[in-house]
Amino acid sequence: MIDIKDQEQLLKLISNLLKEDIVCTAIGGTAMMFLGYKETTKDIDLVFNDEKERQIFIEAIKEIGYKEKSLSGIYDQEHREHKKRPKMFSRGDERFDLFLKDVFGYKLGKKFIERRDFIGKKELIVYVLSEEELILLKGITGREKDYEDIETIMNTNKEIDWDLIVDNAIKQKTSNSWILIDLEENLQKLKEKFFIPHQIFDKIHQAEGKV
Amino acid sequence: MEGKYTLELFAEKKGLTKNSALNLLSKLKKQGYITVSGGGKQKRIYTIYKTPQEQANGFYTIVNKYSPEKLVPKFKHIVKGKYTVERAIIDGIKIGDVRTLTATEHLFRHLKNWKLLFDLAKKNKVIGKLHLLYKSARKNTKTKTMPKRYEK
Repeated sequence: MIDIKDQEQLLKLISNLLKEDIVCTAIGGTAMMFLGYKETTKDIDLVFNDEKERQIFIEAIKEIGYKEKSLSGIYDQEHREHKKRPKMFSRGDERFDLFLKDVFGYKLGKKFIERRDFIGKKELIVYVLSEEELILLKGITGREKDYEDIETIMNTNKEIDWDLIVDNAIKQKTSNSWILIDLEENLQKLKEKFFIPHQIFDKIHQAEGKV
Repeated sequence: MEGKYTLELFAEKKGLTKNSALNLLSKLKKQGYITVSGGGKQKRIYTIYKTPQEQANGFYTIVNKYSPEKLVPKFKHIVKGKYTVERAIIDGIKIGDVRTLTATEHLFRHLKNWKLLFDLAKKNKVIGKLHLLYKSARKNTKTKTMPKRYEK
């Protein structure tokens, strides 16, 4: 487990070990910590724009003892065999999940709500996605705890833009055929605890061709 | 409970005495849930957030400190490390909309390190845009003179 202070210190340290400046996007627990929804996370999830930048980051974390690990035990078989699966590195109980360009077929939007710069010898710029994209992504990674994280966001933030989430999912359904199904499954579960307008389900059904 | 409150309003909402409300506000401030503006002659306004907030200290903080034309942040920018006027000028150019550029022009007056500015501009491939912004800044604001060796 890593808390926000550790995470920031670790990223600052990495910025001192980088060979070049790099830019990436924080998703999952990392983004939730930056936005103040969580105090600790198991893994640091980052998405890179190109392989070169991911490789520069990997070289830096290898220098401080992170080793590549298999995805088994963390992701289910479907995700382990996905061509857009992440590279995973761990050191003790801290872990990095490093994605390239997209997350299991989900292309990240260009809209971010926060930017964190870690300026050491080089610069590590980390963009943080909005709550809506985080919820959508949590729905497609299929890991334990991801559903709990969605509930954590919902418990704190009552102003989630469901239309935006569904619209994003619809936009991505060609590259990620399960996205609407995963989203609906999560929303059905959430409906038992939180209010979600029925029009949102209608919109998903329409996009799935059920009506 | 999110939103802006004065001490009196917060105490009334919470059903507390002023002293107890002040204690609670102070505790929440330490936990990061509250930011305070005002003080001195101005009445303090407490802004309460649903999640702990870290104070932004990046581009928008620098621009809004030095430029008379204030910007509403498009994103929250938090920096760990040394973020200087030189970096802010480059970020302003990269954000690139007219309002941001106009506000960024005022940063040239507070520039200390031309070499760093041009190194960053080269790294970010915005040297041309930097010269354009500087020219415009020279026309519209009081600006330090660019050393000859950096002129186009």
